[in-house]
Amino acid sequence: MRLALFVPCYVDQLRPRIGFAALDLLRSAGCEVEVPGDVLCCGQPFHSAGEAESAQSLGHRFMTRFDRFDAIVVPSGSCVSTLREHLAANEEPAAAEVAARTFELSEFLAERWDSPSLTHPIPRRVGLHSSCHALRELRLGTPSETREPVRPDPAAMLLDRIPGIERIDLTRRDECCGFGGLFSVEEEAVSVRMGLDRLEDHAKGRAEILTSTDISCLMHLEGLARRREQSVEFLHLAELLAASAFGEEWLAAHDEDTHGPR
Amino acid sequence: MSEARDTIFAALEAARPAGPDAPPAPMSGPPMPDAPFDVMASRLAQNGGRLVRSTRANWAQEIEWPRARADLEHLYSARRGGDARQSGDLACRGVGLITDDVHALAPLEVCILEAEFSVVENGASWHVPQSPQERAAALLAEHLVVLVAATEIVPSLHEAYARIDLFAGPFGWFLSGPSKTADIEQALVLGAHGPKTMQLVVLDDAHP
Amino acid sequence: MGHVDRAREFVRDEARTRWHDESLWFVRAKRDLAADTVPDWEALRSQAAGIKREALTRLPALWREFEDQAHAAGAVVHWARDADEHNRVVAGLLEERDITRVVKSKSMLTEECGLNPFLEDRGIEIIDTDLGERIVQLRNESPSHIIMPAIHLKRGEIGELFHQEMDSPAGLDDPNELTAIARLDLRERFLAAEAGITGINFAVAETGSFVVVTNEGNADLGTALPRLHIACVGLEKIVPKARDLAPFLRLLARSATGQPISTYTSHFRSPRPAESGAGPAPELHIVVVDNGRSRLLAEPGFQEALACIRCGACLNTCPVYRRSGGHSYGTTIPGPIGSVLEPSRDPSAHAELPHACSLCGSCTDVCPVHVPLHHQLLTWRSHLARQGHHPRRRRWALGLAAVLFAKPALYRGVTRIGRGIARRLPTALLDKFGGAWTRQRELPPIPRRSFREQLADRESATTPRATVERKSR
Repeated sequence: MRLALFVPCYVDQLRPRIGFAALDLLRSAGCEVEVPGDVLCCGQPFHSAGEAESAQSLGHRFMTRFDRFDAIVVPSGSCVSTLREHLAANEEPAAAEVAARTFELSEFLAERWDSPSLTHPIPRRVGLHSSCHALRELRLGTPSETREPVRPDPAAMLLDRIPGIERIDLTRRDECCGFGGLFSVEEEAVSVRMGLDRLEDHAKGRAEILTSTDISCLMHLEGLARRREQSVEFLHLAELLAASAFGEEWLAAHDEDTHGPR
Repeated sequence: MSEARDTIFAALEAARPAGPDAPPAPMSGPPMPDAPFDVMASRLAQNGGRLVRSTRANWAQEIEWPRARADLEHLYSARRGGDARQSGDLACRGVGLITDDVHALAPLEVCILEAEFSVVENGASWHVPQSPQERAAALLAEHLVVLVAATEIVPSLHEAYARIDLFAGPFGWFLSGPSKTADIEQALVLGAHGPKTMQLVVLDDAHP
Repeated sequence: MGHVDRAREFVRDEARTRWHDESLWFVRAKRDLAADTVPDWEALRSQAAGIKREALTRLPALWREFEDQAHAAGAVVHWARDADEHNRVVAGLLEERDITRVVKSKSMLTEECGLNPFLEDRGIEIIDTDLGERIVQLRNESPSHIIMPAIHLKRGEIGELFHQEMDSPAGLDDPNELTAIARLDLRERFLAAEAGITGINFAVAETGSFVVVTNEGNADLGTALPRLHIACVGLEKIVPKARDLAPFLRLLARSATGQPISTYTSHFRSPRPAESGAGPAPELHIVVVDNGRSRLLAEPGFQEALACIRCGACLNTCPVYRRSGGHSYGTTIPGPIGSVLEPSRDPSAHAELPHACSLCGSCTDVCPVHVPLHHQLLTWRSHLARQGHHPRRRRWALGLAAVLFAKPALYRGVTRIGRGIARRLPTALLDKFGGAWTRQRELPPIPRRSFREQLADRESATTPRATVERKSR
């Protein structure tokens, strides 16, 4: 199976370690992985700002570039949901095919391929934040609002395979963190309030690590936590899985020198 | 006036919205549960009402009255076919005897109605007032008592609407509790404008 | 001042925001419990959505049928193209009969049309009888929620209001006592009223009937006592058959407040029979209103919003509404459905509203009639962008980003330089450039090399990693 790894723009620029985690996880699961260098963005910022043309052209670029792969995996629920939406609006036959072959990372690992063996224990309390895109657009899991047949959350399934892990319960299982793209700066006051409430919910469960399929949610929550000097750690799901698959030293080894308060 | 109507209809015709060619096939509701009166009682209680199981002979002794029946000054009993329960201390009295001004019913203490049937899933009873007085009495009385036969129950609203004939009269309603509100900090208050209590008396001659 | 500024004001009071958020979440939770008791919940939603969608394709035929039936039953049907015409029709009916004392039960349509001030200007007293609406009427403000108009107020504030407006003792805050005070006052109004105005939850084409639901019974008191009943309805609120009421009524109260059904579900068809004695015969008048609905019907992206049954579930679940309050929206109906409906009336005034949303999608998942609310808000964004209602700076920034994403080499160069600068800037300066992000959040740490740069460095520095042989399956 020829697999492409699509690394979203903000992962590329701000959290490259997630890209390597995804790459190494997929390779250790036995996949041949390529990382095409010239598709840079799924178009989501444009899509949610209502800039339809820019969004469409980026979606089209994705489709033509990734057409030759058996599967395309993306460590971001929001990017996959955006891509599937664009491609659904595109009437070319290739569009529907590429959409059907594009997966969010946890979806791919848990449902379509045996997960890499997660052998290194992580005896910590972990809070899983449900990304709204992953949950309500991609239906990876069951939203608390509906009474549809229950569908397990692949991210939760993968986490529960990590030895020693304790996944906490939340009082509001799937409330939005308040990032919402440009919403985070345009409606900053409400966005912050929403994020602080999410952090409080995780704190009630005594979470030591917060994780999610979407780094955008985590960057917003981490930004709030750091400003308040809260000690909780933020790791993308791929990073957490990599730590269990390859050992915690993998994280340090791939920690690109960063600048900024930690 | 008809110019407005013409303009509106023209705008609606011009809109041509897309949509399904046909409505969905009518759906049936959930089946009758085991212990339907337990379910009905619980649903009614959510709306502040109380279900009492009794018989035609004994119900007046088995429900709660705001004060002794004989001491009630203003009572309205709905009349359905000259039944014995409309006599003695259950007969209309006080303002309950007024027939030509609904406003005069304001001091009414108790109103007794007969419902056609009740709905298990939500504890509601279908009632068709036989006169403007009956409807006003149900709203102005401080306490409401609704009688229904135990055989006349349906599982849900789907079966209810199969029984109801909206063409039959000017008005009909489902009643499922006393008048209530939660408009002040969501605190439940019974007796907003209408009755403060509502008892649904299920009459069953087989009931012990 | 739009939603952004009002929301910022609202959120400043952290304790009150928390209280407001918890109050609305409580209602959402009750709705969840109610849905648990209905095994065919999703089937009901699909049924209700299907009935509405099909009905919207033939509104003219349905309203003709309704009108014929209503007339046969002795009611009179009027038509109003817009808010002003609606108000003039209602005022006309009252003035022709020398009526000056009117009671009204909850009708968001009459709020939308501004009926109360219109009538008051003409010397007609109109009292809102729903307790929540009465409270906001006394405070001279608009309802902040379509089902719980006074959800933004605390009991002590209501006690103070009654003390000032109704001469009740100072310092009361027990909801039972306060409701008892309102009961006495409104009882007098009901008894003195000469006309009752109601909304309509569902009009039924088949029979010319309509349904009005309340918990308080105020719509019934307001129409059982006065002789004139005026019922106002938006032209989207019609269903074809009486049996269609079943799925809607099974969904409505559960979605709104978590109750199995509202206390009073009243079905009207004809004027009530005349009482013996002197006095004019009772009358029933129905006013059907367009006010922009036919325009929305013509828009493929938004017509599904006309399926809305005004349950308020989307407000209760919206994390933004719960933390900013109904008055932040500046609309008749706030929250997700309001942000979809209102911009069609006045795009420039409400251009902010579709952005007062994190696109979480919870609203769409609670909607009993499957209105794709968050998708419609997104559609509004592109409409508004095209119409030029978006701030130039945002469009410019996105335009620049689009160029970068189309040119990989340029993207690499610009982002490398950008990251380099950002890593060297003092924190204080960085925070300044961070804009609204850094007011209450740290910026994410900035890596020296991007993922692609690291990958490129790896691949040029080392021999290519051996591909792990795929296990045969």
